[in-house]
Amino acid sequence: MAEAPKASGARPAEKSHFLKHYVENHQKVAKTTFFQIVKQPLTSLFTCFVIGVALVLPVLLSVLLNNLATINQHWDGSPQITLLLKKGVPSLDAGMLAKEIGKKQSIASSHFIDKESALNDFKQRFEFKEAIEFLDENPLPHVIIVRLHPEIHQLETIKQLRDSLVSLPEVDSAILDAVWVQRLQSITLLVERAVWVIATILSLTVILVLGNTVRLAIENRKEEIVVVKLVGGTDAFVRRPFLYMGLFYGLGSSIVAWCLSHWVIYLLNEPIQTLASSYQLDFSLSGLSFLSTLFLLIFGLTLGWLSAWLAVRKHLDDIEPG
Amino acid sequence: MIQFQKVLKRYPDGFEALHDVNFSLKRGEMAFLTGHSGAGKSTLLKLIMLMERASAGSITVGSQDLTTLPRRQIPYFRRHIGVVFQNHRLLFDRSVFDNVALPLEISGMTQRDIGLRVRAALDKVGLLSKEKLSPIQLSGGEQQRVGIARAVVNKPPILLADEPTGNLDPALSEEIMKLFMQFNQVGVTVLIASHDLALIHPLHYRVIELHKGTIKAGVRHG
Repeated sequence: MAEAPKASGARPAEKSHFLKHYVENHQKVAKTTFFQIVKQPLTSLFTCFVIGVALVLPVLLSVLLNNLATINQHWDGSPQITLLLKKGVPSLDAGMLAKEIGKKQSIASSHFIDKESALNDFKQRFEFKEAIEFLDENPLPHVIIVRLHPEIHQLETIKQLRDSLVSLPEVDSAILDAVWVQRLQSITLLVERAVWVIATILSLTVILVLGNTVRLAIENRKEEIVVVKLVGGTDAFVRRPFLYMGLFYGLGSSIVAWCLSHWVIYLLNEPIQTLASSYQLDFSLSGLSFLSTLFLLIFGLTLGWLSAWLAVRKHLDDIEPG
Repeated sequence: MIQFQKVLKRYPDGFEALHDVNFSLKRGEMAFLTGHSGAGKSTLLKLIMLMERASAGSITVGSQDLTTLPRRQIPYFRRHIGVVFQNHRLLFDRSVFDNVALPLEISGMTQRDIGLRVRAALDKVGLLSKEKLSPIQLSGGEQQRVGIARAVVNKPPILLADEPTGNLDPALSEEIMKLFMQFNQVGVTVLIASHDLALIHPLHYRVIELHKGTIKAGVRHG
């Protein structure tokens, strides 16, 4: 020691280097932590797999959700409204009305069924024949079958259309064939809810698993933590490597989850295409979009950091030299 | 530099490690703290390091009153004190260089400055050629010298040592003591806890003797 030590602590020159040092320290800690993880490839890979598998389920469900939305849009069978006309509307007027309705923007086609031909149709079916012969007059109304444009799949819009058609003076009532629309929307809603529930439960699992991994790392490095605190390490300094550890595990797990979900999609795609073609659908599962991938990465990183932070808060601050 | 006034340290189980301890150490002074094991030497050093808080009385280090220092400030306070332990507390997962560099990494210094300082400290304790080795490859005396290099690399105004020669033979112990004396000669305030009277008496420094948690009358000045 050539010069006498001063009691004043950090010199001004050192203070001006603070930011540079801060960045340097983060880089160094990140690098060291990364190599510590890589140094134990099997243990680290195993941890990433456990967490990756936990992330796969919500990821796959959200892929399913995206694909359901696509089905919703590309459904071939367009919704259909059956209009029952009032009694006494002449056949000619009813045919004119059908043509007029067919010209409307949101309607793909309209088909008029005369009540006489409808009755003949019924008579041809054996079980109705006798019953109909008892009747004095034709009980059937004229019917117009309206097919909507396939792009219209919002239940609310369809209902509005139905209401506007019912308000026509010739129309008595309307039957909306929208069961599939309702079903698909309920399924979508169910899957959406399931994604959130499962994602929440599995996130908790991830936090517990990663938190435990970080806790073990803290136990293993207890001596180091004590020494660092003895030579003046702040809590932030002591926490830093463990927080980076959480980030790296989160990143690794996201990558594992991404690969696994693409593998599962690849496996499911062929049977799904076969199934879809049996419904005259040209459909194949699409994988994770760029945005979903980005979301998965950010989600993994956040979860990793959060787990590490919770573990560090619980275990690290208790370790004090003494 | 260090001042104890009516200091009492009572542990939660009721054991009184120190009571009515009064002494002061001037800036640039060097002293030995002696006494049987269990007399309170380690506790006294721990109070200066803020590894423990006093139950009563006041302790002042530098111009800092330790009784009012908030927990958050402890790390910054410790950077002004170098400590050498009996079991040297080196980290075996990193090189000698990285062990000595630790306090500088913490206090916020660029890698270039760290390199210069660490090599100067290692040169001082005669281990410059071994910076790349792991502490486990060194002898007991060498490990203790690495511990000393780590304690002084920050150029702290105060140097504390708890039985620094406890595991060393007399020749090595004398070497270690000479190092402490050299630091004292450049102005560092040094307080060394040791029960090795044969080693410290010929050195003619002030001796503070603890007996059952209190300072024995008739403090000998060297």
